[in-house]
Amino acid sequence: MSLHVRTIGPDQHLAFVASRGSASFLQTPAWAAVKGEWRGESIGWFRRDELVGVGLVLYRQVPKLKRYLAYLPEGPVLDWSGDVAEALDAMRTHLKANGAFGIRMGPALVTRRWGAATLKAALADDVLTRLGDVPADHTDDAAVAVADQLRSLGWKEQAAEGGFSAGQPKYNFQVPLAGRSEDDVLAGMNQLWRRNIRKAAKQGVEVTTGIREDLAEFHRVYVETAERDHFTPRPLSYFETMWDAMTAEDPQRLRLYLARHEGDLVAATTLVQVGTHAWYSYGASTTAKREVRGSNAVQWQMMRDSLAGGAEVYDLRGITDTLDTDDSHVGLLQFKVGTGGEAVEYLGEWDLPINKPLYAAFTAYMKRRG
Amino acid sequence: MAFDLEIRAADWRAHLAATHAALPGLVPVVKGNGYGLGRQRLAHEASRLGADLIAVGTYEEAHELLGSFLGDVQVLTPWRPFLPRVADPRLVHTLGRLADIPALAQQQPGARVVVEIETSMARHGFDRHHLAEAARAIAEAGLTVEGFAMHLPMTGGNLDEARLWCAVLEASALETTTVFCSHLTLTELEQLRGERPNLTLRPRVGTQLWLGRLDTLAVRATVMDVHTVQRGERIGYRQGRVPRAGHVLVIAGGTSHGIGLEAPRAVAGVAGRGKAAAKGGLAAAGLALSPFTIDGKLRWFAEPPHMQASMVLLPEGAKLPAVGDTVTAQVRYTIASFDTVREI
Repeated sequence: MSLHVRTIGPDQHLAFVASRGSASFLQTPAWAAVKGEWRGESIGWFRRDELVGVGLVLYRQVPKLKRYLAYLPEGPVLDWSGDVAEALDAMRTHLKANGAFGIRMGPALVTRRWGAATLKAALADDVLTRLGDVPADHTDDAAVAVADQLRSLGWKEQAAEGGFSAGQPKYNFQVPLAGRSEDDVLAGMNQLWRRNIRKAAKQGVEVTTGIREDLAEFHRVYVETAERDHFTPRPLSYFETMWDAMTAEDPQRLRLYLARHEGDLVAATTLVQVGTHAWYSYGASTTAKREVRGSNAVQWQMMRDSLAGGAEVYDLRGITDTLDTDDSHVGLLQFKVGTGGEAVEYLGEWDLPINKPLYAAFTAYMKRRG
Repeated sequence: MAFDLEIRAADWRAHLAATHAALPGLVPVVKGNGYGLGRQRLAHEASRLGADLIAVGTYEEAHELLGSFLGDVQVLTPWRPFLPRVADPRLVHTLGRLADIPALAQQQPGARVVVEIETSMARHGFDRHHLAEAARAIAEAGLTVEGFAMHLPMTGGNLDEARLWCAVLEASALETTTVFCSHLTLTELEQLRGERPNLTLRPRVGTQLWLGRLDTLAVRATVMDVHTVQRGERIGYRQGRVPRAGHVLVIAGGTSHGIGLEAPRAVAGVAGRGKAAAKGGLAAAGLALSPFTIDGKLRWFAEPPHMQASMVLLPEGAKLPAVGDTVTAQVRYTIASFDTVREI
């Protein structure tokens, strides 16, 4: 076989990602350190001695067995226009030898895009309740064809109800930055966003970047947000681990943003950048002083810094596929649409069972856990 | 004058006028065999109704009817590069594939088109995810968009699906507010018009218009010969035995008229399936019910229909028609062909 997969070192992994311009931050070696409860491995695809693809594999153990689900979140980083069957077969051979009973991956391929104008029209229409029903402004037929190919190779798409319940979100929201100036980006936003950004500046909201020690302050606001929005907060140690692992890889990989009004912290966020792609990752805001619009100020600062830092995409991450104005999730989309960006649909997460009984038992177990 | 259609013209036209009045924006469909009545006749009736547009099935039909209908002619079959070219400013093409956009523009710059969407019929039309791309390509190619078309299935309620496609049209970049649709009831159309006042809905109607009142149409088949037969006597091309004593009637109307041809019927329900199975069994035994009604009953074929005539058994005791009399027949109009069509 001319193409084979083997374990590679973090440096080689990182160098390949850098040569590609970008990859999901979930496919960087540092992410393995963040996900401490999973064993991580960097793998490389080699044609003879040339490295042609990389992946970060996270191994999740079956309770009491030395067998694993091999998970490549938003990866692997491959040339999907090449021989997909050959590449995936080489990966399967390698992961099976490492004790994997099944593989899960989420190729970072965009299949469809919807622009802000289309989304606005769709949101205003009662009949259109799912993003998938709306004519996409751009369809990537090659990416769509990969889905058919995966299906024919025995991979199964993980049903992502509403696009959120499975691992990584299938629908995301992105603001294109390539070839645009700050003024262009600002002009693309809706009136409310522009007004809020101006308002925050007028009220004297100051946005600064923080250091590791500021994570505690971020975390305090983050816990408050979690209580308000009813989600389970991660412990401070999670963010400290993330900070250590990611900034060790690249000092600019993870940044902390703090928005203050008259000395009070009103909003705090984290920004991740890998090459030309920047992600807004975690966000928090206080209930008090919402009117000073710290959230808009901090987003705008992250966008400007991303642009200055050479990013071509500012990624606001997951949205659900709902357009139903009665659904509480739609507020998130409405907020993001205001940035003038676009909704993108990824190929989704796909599973390949290697040991069918174990795979079936594992998926049943995961379903019970919810 | 042997296998003929009689139209009670006044009643039939009254039905056409009523349907036309009830369905604003109606686009008469004139395709195939003209629903048994003939395309030319229907095109003429469409003119008489004041229709500005008719829909035809194929480019061959369009070519023929552009000569006899003064308004616009829409072709329902999507344009393909290999179909016959008909260049006429009154012709409106149907588009359903991205690849056809530049090809049509090259063959006929500025051509008028209707953009068809792939509905749950899954027959022709653009995938909805390609609609935005199609809109861009059509604008770039300089084609003139005359409307959006959705061909809906016949069963069940179509309103939800029609609603979805109207919403899809409005969220797309297509520059049109005209929607051509099929198989929506009057109530459904009115509901949709109320919800989408900015859209112009134009129902494309064939069967409901032309064959909406079958009682105004009568098929008259002429009895050409009558023979007395005994039980067990061998007759016909196949020299089959006559099962009962009586008469064999030779009636005008054979395979060339569509007699004995059966389009598969949509069968629903257990009883329907049972009937269909029973009919199949009888057919396998060489027995088949003819479409001719004689002395109040449908009669059995004596053998499979010939090209222009059928041999039908009339058992003893039934009232015997004379040569030259006519009997009625039930036909499927979309596959029927008559020697003459008369208005009475």
